[in-house]
Amino acid sequence: MTSRWKIVLIGGLVFIVLAAAIYFPILRRRVKRAARLQQQSEEQARRELTQPIAINPGDPRVKTKLFWASDTIDATLVPVTVELPLSRDPVLRSKQVLNTLLAGPVDAELRTLPPDALLLAFYLLPDGTAIADFSEALATSIPSGIVSEQLAVNSITRTLEANVPQVQRLKILIHGQEVETLAGHLDLTGTFVVSTHPAQAPAADKPAAAASGTLTPDKTPDKMAQPERKP
Amino acid sequence: MRESEIVLDFATQVRRALELQGFQVVQTRQGNENPSFDDRSATANAQRGAVFVTLHISSTGLPGTARVYVNSDLPPVAGANGLIPWERAQAPFLGLSRRFGDLVQGFLTQRFKGSPDTAQTASVRQLRTTAAPAIAVEISSVTVEDRADLERMAPGVADAVARGAAAFKPSYVVPNTPGALP
Repeated sequence: MTSRWKIVLIGGLVFIVLAAAIYFPILRRRVKRAARLQQQSEEQARRELTQPIAINPGDPRVKTKLFWASDTIDATLVPVTVELPLSRDPVLRSKQVLNTLLAGPVDAELRTLPPDALLLAFYLLPDGTAIADFSEALATSIPSGIVSEQLAVNSITRTLEANVPQVQRLKILIHGQEVETLAGHLDLTGTFVVSTHPAQAPAADKPAAAASGTLTPDKTPDKMAQPERKP
Repeated sequence: MRESEIVLDFATQVRRALELQGFQVVQTRQGNENPSFDDRSATANAQRGAVFVTLHISSTGLPGTARVYVNSDLPPVAGANGLIPWERAQAPFLGLSRRFGDLVQGFLTQRFKGSPDTAQTASVRQLRTTAAPAIAVEISSVTVEDRADLERMAPGVADAVARGAAAFKPSYVVPNTPGALP
């Protein structure tokens, strides 16, 4: 091989190495971004598949109280009032408020439920017992501990109490199964008391004055849901 | 940071503090084994005149604080067949658990500012099947950057549990429950 060919060959190799050094980081970024987008779209698709109960804009907008964590007092819930078009059917209404609760507050730090948790099904028995079936993420993604598990359950029961008067008590299932605890601490074998008032339809829905999506923190003191045991 | 290991360190210090007060201590685990809820309750329920303390470290909450929990209300035990239902073994002891919990919480609050003044109520699975005054102590939290921050809390927690048990002892009268031994 002549020295000229050697120079051409070495030059070519240097060019390939330089091109690779520039191109590979760009390629890696693109692969990461594609993976992230795919993950997001999968999450979106899952939500769309499992949450076919969309909010119907034709329903009257009512003030809806959602209970998320307080940003000032540790381990307490505060109600946030949101104006939502809610169905009068108690099952649809429950699904709507729980899906909104799962979607979380504006400040993600105040979430009480994991962002990837889904409401898979919701049933309401004639005696006022509701059965809410959540995806496994509710149990696996929640921070472990009595305080966080209790806040999660209380945010669900208090949101139902405030918005769906037909629900008297709540049984929580994880992926269709009864489980012993939520994440190792809080007992899920029984039902939780939601309301001690007799069941009644939400006849007194007051349409909201404005159709804006304002969030109004309420100052109602916190109250913890009392679990109820099966006889 | 493994919660189970830190909890075991806390348990060792609680045990020493209780033994210094003259109590006999039975631990439901000595190492990394993981007995079931019922196994732990069975160990506790086999004792006479015992109190039950379960220790936890939370993943959330204000770091440097400690909370005591007692079980939520349970339907009263019906004495028709003379036996305490296993699933509601805690029911006859709820009042005693509350008194014991308030005492321990009071000592914890003196040591760890920002902790609640009284014991909290929660549906804690482990407590429900325990036929004795029973409390759960939860320390915040595993989110601290340095494990030493948590370890520094252990002597204070141990002291509060031991002082609470000593203060509770004179008022501990085993409730007259169906199936209880004379």
